[in-house]
Amino acid sequence: MQHFALTIVGRDRPGIVAQVTEILFNLGCNIADSSCSILGGQFAMILILAHPDVKDRAGFGDAFRPLEEADLTVALRVLKPGGEIRPQIEGELCMISVYGADKPGIIYHVAKVLGERQINITDLNTKLVGSDERPVYVMVIEAALPAGVDEQDVNDWLVPIRDELQVDINVRIIPTVEL
Amino acid sequence: MAVREIRVYPDPVLKQVAAEVAAIDETVIAVIDDLVDTMRAAGHSVGVAAPQIGVLLRVVVVDVSHSKLGRDHNHGLLEMVNPRILEKTGGKTMREGCMSIPDYTGNVERAERIVVEFLERSGRLRFVETSGFEAVAIQHEIDHLDGLLFLDRVSSLKTDLFRRKAPKG
Repeated sequence: MQHFALTIVGRDRPGIVAQVTEILFNLGCNIADSSCSILGGQFAMILILAHPDVKDRAGFGDAFRPLEEADLTVALRVLKPGGEIRPQIEGELCMISVYGADKPGIIYHVAKVLGERQINITDLNTKLVGSDERPVYVMVIEAALPAGVDEQDVNDWLVPIRDELQVDINVRIIPTVEL
Repeated sequence: MAVREIRVYPDPVLKQVAAEVAAIDETVIAVIDDLVDTMRAAGHSVGVAAPQIGVLLRVVVVDVSHSKLGRDHNHGLLEMVNPRILEKTGGKTMREGCMSIPDYTGNVERAERIVVEFLERSGRLRFVETSGFEAVAIQHEIDHLDGLLFLDRVSSLKTDLFRRKAPKG
């Protein structure tokens, strides 16, 4: 089956999910995977879709036009074969919390270290919290550690960033258990 | 004694509340034996609850002594009839998987330390205080007796970590 990635962003209000999924349901789309959340004042939806008959963008016709008329931004990406299959990510899962007074480059500096060490980020969320006078940036990363890397290593690699950016960093393994 | 088939969701038996064991008779002993055999046969398993083999009785077995996480702190093989958690303290997050929900894991926060009472196969009342992985495993298995799966307890990172921020008034 052909798969697609559909992203929809717009000012948050009740009813967006219902409007989007009604259209998808009527089209006969399967929603294979999805993540939707409020980011700032926007509601952001990312969906992996499959349709037994629709092979390309044109196959959707103007089905999404009502969404655009409702001030939502709609983008459709046609996936290459296999692009819908989640890779088997090996390695221990690790949560990394980074927080501190807001300043530019917190995500970049942390992500650069992780990328250079072949640590795969599987989930990342950030929020600006605290008061207007003293904004605090909070980032939580879930990452898969390559074989031979433990939480102490990650901690050690992030120490220079902690010192340079004056942020607090906590690294902890989330043990995966089969019960 | 037999290795039984593990029921997999959406088997409805997994969402039902199991009945208290009135008396530990031959049937109950056979259930305990089957649970132990099934757990051992699964290799990596550290616990099985009776509903997972299709028996709606309040019986679970737990043994974390062969696992890396439980090796240093455990009570060996625990065969628990009518288990009841008396106390819970602390919190511990593990990424749980379950034989009844193959191929999916989720982060679940549970108590770090528990006190649990149960009947042994002999009928003797026993109390166990434990913590860490063994405590998590016991809580996971007892949930099965109440029709609860880890999916009922899973929470997303975002809501867990950020929901405390009260909206500005």
